Amino acid sequence: MILFHLDPRSGVPTYLQLVQQVRQAMQLGILRPGDQLPTVKDVVGALAINPNTVLKAYRELDREGLVVARRGVGTFVSGELPSLPPDDLKGLRASLQRWVERARAAGLDDENIAALLAETTRAERPARVA
Amino acid sequence: MTAPVHADGLGKRYGSTWALRDCTLEIPEGSVTALVGANGAGKTTLLQLVVGLSRPTDGSVMVFGADPVGDPSTVLQRVGFVAQEHPLYRGFSVADTLKLGRKLNPGWDDAIAHARIEQLGLPFRRKVGKLSGGQQAQVALTLALAKRPDLLVLDEPVASLDPLARREFMQSLMEAVSEGGLTVILSSHILADLERVCDHIVILANGRTQLAGPIDDVVETHRLLTGPRADAAAIARMHHVVSERHTERQTSLLVRSNGHVYDATWELHEVDLEEIVLAYLVRDRSASAEPARSA
Amino acid sequence: MIWVAWRRQRTETLVTAALLALLAALLVPTGIEMASAFDRDGIGACLGAQPGQACASSLASFNARFDSLDSFIAWLTLIPGIVGVLLAAPLVLELEQRTHRLAWTQSISRARWLAGKLGFAIAVALAASLVFTLLVTWWRAPIVRIDGRMDQSVFDSEGTVVFGYTLFALGVAAAVGVVWRRAAASLVVGLVGYFAVRVFVDTWLRQRFLSPVTSTFHLLDNGPDKLRHAWVFSQYPSDRAGHHTQIPLGLCGPPPAGGGKPVIGNCLADHGVFMHATYLPASRFWALQGIETALFGAVAILLLAFAAWWTYRRAD
Repeated sequence: MILFHLDPRSGVPTYLQLVQQVRQAMQLGILRPGDQLPTVKDVVGALAINPNTVLKAYRELDREGLVVARRGVGTFVSGELPSLPPDDLKGLRASLQRWVERARAAGLDDENIAALLAETTRAERPARVA
Repeated sequence: MTAPVHADGLGKRYGSTWALRDCTLEIPEGSVTALVGANGAGKTTLLQLVVGLSRPTDGSVMVFGADPVGDPSTVLQRVGFVAQEHPLYRGFSVADTLKLGRKLNPGWDDAIAHARIEQLGLPFRRKVGKLSGGQQAQVALTLALAKRPDLLVLDEPVASLDPLARREFMQSLMEAVSEGGLTVILSSHILADLERVCDHIVILANGRTQLAGPIDDVVETHRLLTGPRADAAAIARMHHVVSERHTERQTSLLVRSNGHVYDATWELHEVDLEEIVLAYLVRDRSASAEPARSA
Repeated sequence: MIWVAWRRQRTETLVTAALLALLAALLVPTGIEMASAFDRDGIGACLGAQPGQACASSLASFNARFDSLDSFIAWLTLIPGIVGVLLAAPLVLELEQRTHRLAWTQSISRARWLAGKLGFAIAVALAASLVFTLLVTWWRAPIVRIDGRMDQSVFDSEGTVVFGYTLFALGVAAAVGVVWRRAAASLVVGLVGYFAVRVFVDTWLRQRFLSPVTSTFHLLDNGPDKLRHAWVFSQYPSDRAGHHTQIPLGLCGPPPAGGGKPVIGNCLADHGVFMHATYLPASRFWALQGIETALFGAVAILLLAFAAWWTYRRAD
């Protein structure tokens, strides 16, 4: 059973953090198809968050086809997470390395690099979610 | 379905001071609403009017369509209330307290009450006065929940509790909400807790409603505008300026808007809920209050 | 609600019961002793029209034995006051400790809650008054047979007045308490108020409730029958018409050896000196009781109604 945690200061909406953690758990094999996700009551009992937030997260996962809600029983992992083909991952990693070298040469330190990355991914976010 | 709470021009005066004035709002069913404001802003006054402990001086408040003062039995059977500092009879044991709930509430569910107390690990025989603050708060919450209310009203329920007791209280509360059929209003002047627990917010300052609405909406429609030193007038013509700050070279405005801000001179930033609330709380006292936006 | 009212008032009710039990522990043994002394010494016979020779001394010894106890018992009239104010405490404490915010947000209305709480206090007050009156009346029966019950210190624990006193004390403490919201202080004020009003009524007001009877009678008589066990306001030598007369010094010589009053009496009577008395006969006992009970009772009802109204309408 997956254990959720919350980072209130991350700037990422709570429901999205839950979604991400489910995805990660699926990628790491902690959650397999057929596993039941914690009930809404269990999640809010552990995290002290609004039940609607959990429902929103589970609906999003349902929409993405990763889980399916069975009325009266619970929410279950249904799909496989499309993991990136290893080649794509290698290519992405290589271009990222090159970019990081360029950034360092331009005078950015690790902190600047992380901020730039965060800003860029955040800017991308509304388009994804909407 | 009538709204859990509907206030219309609600006001309450003590002597010559208005503790609450011109309060118009509607609490949506099923929401967990945060009632925020500084101490003395009118939070307790509003909640006391909702449960019928006070009589309005002006305007009206309806709970599920009934008048809390004129029709107390109807309202009280559907409303659970935990007052500030969770008053309990210190000389009563926990069991006595539950018995009190059973005797005075026709809708009382003794099984729920006992189950909750057992789950929390509280001793039935111990006198309430000997329990810790967190345990007392949980007993008070049990008393309010076991009558199976449709509306739960909590006045600063965790103000005097240590962080662990606070977290446990909120966990307990959210579990109750997750079971469905409950609308919650909870007041606090500590913002951090409320953000994770609530989905609606009402901001009170100086006895008036400054803002009311879903938290997601509030965060989505408020933006911080920064730019070179400038007058806010142009922006104010099209959007509601909540607060403004100026230095020699820079100006920043907190703005509420339904549409986009199409002004290239300003840089837009998102603002988190705490900043938004604080901006409303420090607004000029003499500024006339906006009629509250309801959900 | 009844269980709740009882549980909230448990301490005060038990203290009241303990107080009355203490009273009983004091009164029952001495009462039995007094009653048997009364019978043994045949005092009953002495109270008839023709008292025998031994009566004077047996009466005197009976009085000597129980008089001081009787005066002590007179102070028991504070007990209705104590019980009354004590029973107001739960109501005042509810407001002082602000637990009314708990009590009034369960499912019953404020009105029902008030009715239950006050009703319970009143019921205990009446019960305590009954026990008190019965106990003291029983204890004092022999003394009452001798002296009647119109006297100040006896009157206020007989009949129905105690009910009025207790409710009055309850009313004062409740009325002060719900406005002031300090329990300890209100109880003190209540007790002081009770005491002050009782003294006022006892010493000044009570004699103005009913118009007294006056009669002028021959010195040699014991007076009209109605004077027996009556409450005498004043009694003095007078002329035939009832006006105050001064007896000149030395009008009648010293009594001859072995003689006594009868000789002086004859002498004074020959000179036209009578006795004039203003009094309230014993037959007016119940009328007087009724008036005083009604007075205290009516004020009590007003005070309690005020306390209830204030709590209902004003307490936020």
